[in-house]
Formats: sequence, C-alpha cells, structure tokens
Amino acid sequence: MTSLVSVQPFSVRFSPRKTLGLAILAGLVVFAFLPLVIGGADPLKQSLRLALQPPSSAAWFGYDHLGRSMAARLAAALRLSLGLALLSVVTAMVPGILLGVLAAWRGGFIDRAIGAVSESLLALPGLLLVLMLTAIVPDNPAMLYLGISLVLWIEYFRVTRALARPILQSPAVEASRLLGFGPVYILKRHVWPEIAAILLRLGAFGGASAIMAVAALGFVSVGVRPPTPELGLMMIELLPYYEEAPHALLQPIAVIFLMVLALQLLAAREKPGKERV
Amino acid sequence: MSTLMKVQGAAVHGSGGRLVEPFSFSLEAGRPFTILGETGSGKSLLAQALMGLLPDGLTASGQLFIEGQTLDLSVPGVQKPLWGRKVSILPQEPWLALDPIMAASSQVEESYRFLRNEKTNQARQSADRDLQDLGVAEAARKLPGQLSGGMAQRVAFAAARAGGARIVIADEPTKGLDIARRDEVIDLLMREVRAGGTVLVITHDLALARQMGGDLAVMLEGRIVEQGQAADVLAEPQHEYTKRLIAADPQNWEKLEAEPSTSASCVLSATGLGKTRGGKRLFADIDLAIHPGEIIGVTGPSGSGKSSLGDLLLGLLKPDTGTVRRADGISVHRYQKLYQDPPAAFPARATLKQSLADLLALHRLEEARIAPLMRRLRLGEHLLDRRPDQVSGGELQRFSLLRVLLLDPVFLFADEPTSRLDLITQQETIALLVELARERSSALLLVSHDTALIEKTCDRTISIG
Repeated sequence: MTSLVSVQPFSVRFSPRKTLGLAILAGLVVFAFLPLVIGGADPLKQSLRLALQPPSSAAWFGYDHLGRSMAARLAAALRLSLGLALLSVVTAMVPGILLGVLAAWRGGFIDRAIGAVSESLLALPGLLLVLMLTAIVPDNPAMLYLGISLVLWIEYFRVTRALARPILQSPAVEASRLLGFGPVYILKRHVWPEIAAILLRLGAFGGASAIMAVAALGFVSVGVRPPTPELGLMMIELLPYYEEAPHALLQPIAVIFLMVLALQLLAAREKPGKERV
Repeated sequence: MSTLMKVQGAAVHGSGGRLVEPFSFSLEAGRPFTILGETGSGKSLLAQALMGLLPDGLTASGQLFIEGQTLDLSVPGVQKPLWGRKVSILPQEPWLALDPIMAASSQVEESYRFLRNEKTNQARQSADRDLQDLGVAEAARKLPGQLSGGMAQRVAFAAARAGGARIVIADEPTKGLDIARRDEVIDLLMREVRAGGTVLVITHDLALARQMGGDLAVMLEGRIVEQGQAADVLAEPQHEYTKRLIAADPQNWEKLEAEPSTSASCVLSATGLGKTRGGKRLFADIDLAIHPGEIIGVTGPSGSGKSSLGDLLLGLLKPDTGTVRRADGISVHRYQKLYQDPPAAFPARATLKQSLADLLALHRLEEARIAPLMRRLRLGEHLLDRRPDQVSGGELQRFSLLRVLLLDPVFLFADEPTSRLDLITQQETIALLVELARERSSALLLVSHDTALIEKTCDRTISIG
C-alpha cells in the first residue's frame, strides 16, 4: 500500500476549512492519547465522595456519578471511537476498492455477483445489521467493528466501480496493456491517482458515520458493556443525572460533535476549480 | 454590397500583456470572411471578444459598428442585445448544443417565440418551414438523440439563425468531420451567404477556407500576418508563414517514394476478416498480408470501421468472422498502436519521465536508448518533467512514438495520429513516423480520414466503407 499512497491525495496548501478540521482532529487525538504517554487517572477507578463533582482547577472535566475522572473516561472513550472508526474504514476501504476495480475490470458475471451481494446488504438498514451481529455474539467489540465494516464497504465498492470503469476502458490503459504492463501497474498509475482523492474524502465521511454508529449502539446499550468507557454509553449513564450535573452529560456529546465536525470539515469538497488534487 | 458589421481595432488583453493585436475588418453582405490560424494563434479569442464571450481575466478593446450603432468592446455585456437577433453563433459540435430531451422543431420554435415574439402557432409553422427548407422536415418531431450528426447540425443551424441574425459566427465548424460532412457544413454556411447574410468562419482548416472563398485573414501568434481575397492569398501567399501553412496541406505534399516490401515473410496476416457493430456491417472478407517495413493506408468515411480494422489486427477487438495471424517467434509487445488523442494515451497524473522509466524497468531496457531517440524526435529534455497535459499535442504524439519505438515494433497501427494536430505539426509528425518506420523495418498501418494524406504517404491503400 505504501507505494500507492505516495500520490498526494490532498493539495499541499490546505484551505482554511481543512486546516480547521485538521486542527480539531489533532486536538482530539492529543487529548485521547496524551494520558497514555504522560500517565493520568484510571478511567475505571471509582471514588464515590467525588461523585458528580463539577469541573475544578484540579480536574478540568469533573467527575461522573460514580466519581470516576471524566477526563480519563473521555480520553479512553475517544481512543475506542477513533480506533474503531479508523479500523472499520480501512477494513471497508481495502476490499471495497479491490472488489470495485475487479467488477469494473471483469464486468459480466463477476460484476453482477458482487453487485448482487452489495445490494442485498444495502437492503438492510445499516444499524440493523450491526444490531443483529451484536445480538448474535453479545459484548464483543469485534462484532461492532465487523458490522460497521460490512455496511461501509459497499460505498467504496460502488464508487470505485463507477469511477474505475471509464478509466479502465480509456485509450491510456489500452496503451499500457499493449506496452506489456500488468494489472498492478494499471491500478497504481491509472486508477488509483484518479480515484484517491474521492475515496479518501469518502473515508472521512465513513469515519464520521462509524463514530456515530458506535455511539448510537452504546446509547441503546448494545455495543460495548459497562464499565468500559464509550461515548454513547456515557451519555445514557449520565442522562439520569442531567439535573445535578449537566456538565457531565454535555461532555461526551461535545466530543462526538467535535469529532464528526472535524471529519466533515476534512471531507468537505472544495469549490470547483480551487481544488488541485 | 452593404456592410453588415465593421470592427475597428479589436484586441484582446490578458494579465501578461496583449494576446491579440488590434485588428480591423468589415463583414459585407454576401461575402464570407475567414480567419485562418493554428491552435493557440488567438483566432478564437478574437471571435469571443467580438461576441462578448471572453473567459474571465481577459479583456477586449476596440469598437464594433453594427446597423448604425457603435459598441465599445471593452464594456462587458454590451453585445448581449445582438445575440440571436443580429449575430448568432453556430455551435461547435452542434449535437452537443441541442437539448437532448426536446423535440427538434420545438428548439427552433423557441427562437421564433422568444427572439421574434411570434405567437406559438406561428412560431411552430416558421420552425417547420425552416426545417423543411434545410431538408430535415422528418426530424421535426424527433429528439436530438434520434438524429444523425448531419441532421443535428442542420437543426442547430436552424435554431441559431431563427432569431433573424444575418451574421453567423462559426468557430471551427468542421472540427473532427470527414470530407462528406465537411461539405455539408460548407453548404449550410454558404446558404446563409447567398441569402444576403454573411458568415465569419474561424478555422485551422485550409480546405474550408478555400471553399468558403470571400475574404481571408491569416493569424499567427495573435497578429494578422496576411489578409486579402481568399483565392488570391491561397494561390499566391506573400507571408512566409502562409507559404509554410499551404505547403503543409497534405494535398501539396510531395508523394513519398513507395518502397514495396521485398521481404517474402509477413509480420501479420488476416483472412476473411469481418466485423459488425450495432447491427451494421462495417466490412467483410478483408484479406491482408503485412510485410516488414510496409506502409499501408486505410481510408473511409467516419464510422466506417477504419479504427476497428486496426484494433482487430492488434487483437484489441475480436473479429466476427475470419482470423488474424501473427508471425511466429515475435514478442507480443512488438505490435503497437499510436492513438488519435495523445493526452488520452498516457497516465494522466504521472510525468513523462516517470512513464518512460516504468517502461524501461518493465522491459529491462537501457536508459541510454532514450536520449538519442529524443534528439531524433526533436524533443527537449525539459519536457520529461512535465505531465501529459502540460506539453503540446505534437510533442506528446512524438513521445508516444518514442515510447513504442523503445520496444522495436514490427507492426505499428497509427489511428488518426495527426487529426488533432495543426497542419505544420501534422506534416512533421507524419514525416518522422514514416521515416522511422522505414528505418526500423516496422510495418505501419496508417488510418486517416484525409485521403490526400494517405495517398501521398503510403505504399498501398485499403479503402473501406
């Protein structure tokens, strides 16, 4: 993959919009992973005398209903969300792109077969598919990840197939084949540079929807189980204490909002003509 | 004879200076005016300046006199009231300019209704009458997709001039057309001239300029270098550039010495080749034996299957009947093709250096072979660091030639290799192609819609369609 990524997917000079998205995302990543580097409170450690303490100069984010450090819990939840989103997007992207190119290349039966599988998966609402999988094997983050990937790959498959078909039929590809180049070269030189920017943009959107899906499942108590910190789970846990500690409930909501906003800003399309990819 | 439009000192300016030098001329009723020049000479910019259609960032200057009015070309939008009523544009590739989901006559009818304020019924009658006059009455209720290219052209012409404009501006009206279709377009334009209007033709096509007659101006690098009656200028060009341009017309080429191949063996042979496309039989029972170093021309009208024949021989298409046999013991990579549109034949986002390096690595060729070939093809080293869209069409076609020559081809199929190039570049490219093919004993199958080019260049000719 490394050689494929050597083509610059985004312009060297980021637009203000992308810079903002990147800055928010970088901030969240630092917040999530800094405790691993410099050490911090244990997200599972309870001390009931601190329950629902508001933010203070010692603990900027306060404490939850069981007196656990909100800062530590948010960081851990962010690591889970970001990690799961990244993993799901990559897992969806690689087979999605490869199958898309395969379908565009071979056409005929293979195209129809993969198309039929993707369409039958598409017929189920995405969240329902994840729900079903987590119901079959409960309490396993791997199922969550598998379910989300199964929903996401279809998008990459369809977009790649549509984009790759005209490229593969172009005189440029015909010329390369006549000159003796094989499929790997054609993928690397002809197809990938043309579709990379669009697919990476799609990847950012996919990341945002994966994060939302994980949180939504946590909120209905289907995803990961307590006491693991997870943003959706934290919301439902803190909902009963809304009156006493609105700050605690608002924190996971704000984190999700910022994360999705950052990814959407990164994925946003530039004005036509401005974009040089 | 009356003057329909007079142009005084029309010029185009960009951020880097003047792109088109001031030029004055007048359009007389019944007398076409042609501006001849190659790609990038600024001839289209001049037409756009007159019509007020310059791209952003460019400005015009000069004056336009039309029916007692004086318009200042430097004021944007000042020409708008003229559009359709006084001056109309015949679109390039008219089949793309028509609305695909609207019947032909309705599109003409709109011009009558909105430009001439005719009532619906009257406008419909006018539209049908126009289509009938142009011999395409049967197209009236059809959608553009159901029309042939020639019919679509007539419909677009009817729509363009239904507003009553007596001046038609046609920018490259014959681009990409074969001779039969070109004559149709000329006939259409001359019809306007005979009716007392006039036509301003912008073209790089010498034959079109000759057939239009009237006045001719030759443009080079934003300047008019020669101007006069078309017949005079073309018969006795004064300026060096005009002379070169006329000499580069395939009709005026020297016939290349035919060198029938002496070799008994053939690199490629075909028997009983036949191909059908879309239910239409392109050709049948073609027998062909191609010997080393032989130059074979293929001519025929567009859509006749010239390119398909070459693709069949290369194995890029499967024949419906017949077989193609290659000589034994020759690498498959020595059968190569040159494409019509050079930028479409290279990986779009890789530099030329990268594409060539890939080829060298794949076939384990020595890098030292590139430099002499580049000198031979008159390609500068600096071009290597560019992407295909950053070099000119002629240069890129020579790069395509370089790329296939690295593989020592025994058979080269050149599919309209110069139809997108200017005349002078075309002559240079064809000369190099033929010379190198001869020198390396590679057979060359040259496909072109230009019969003169084929006649002057090839040892023998196959005519299909």
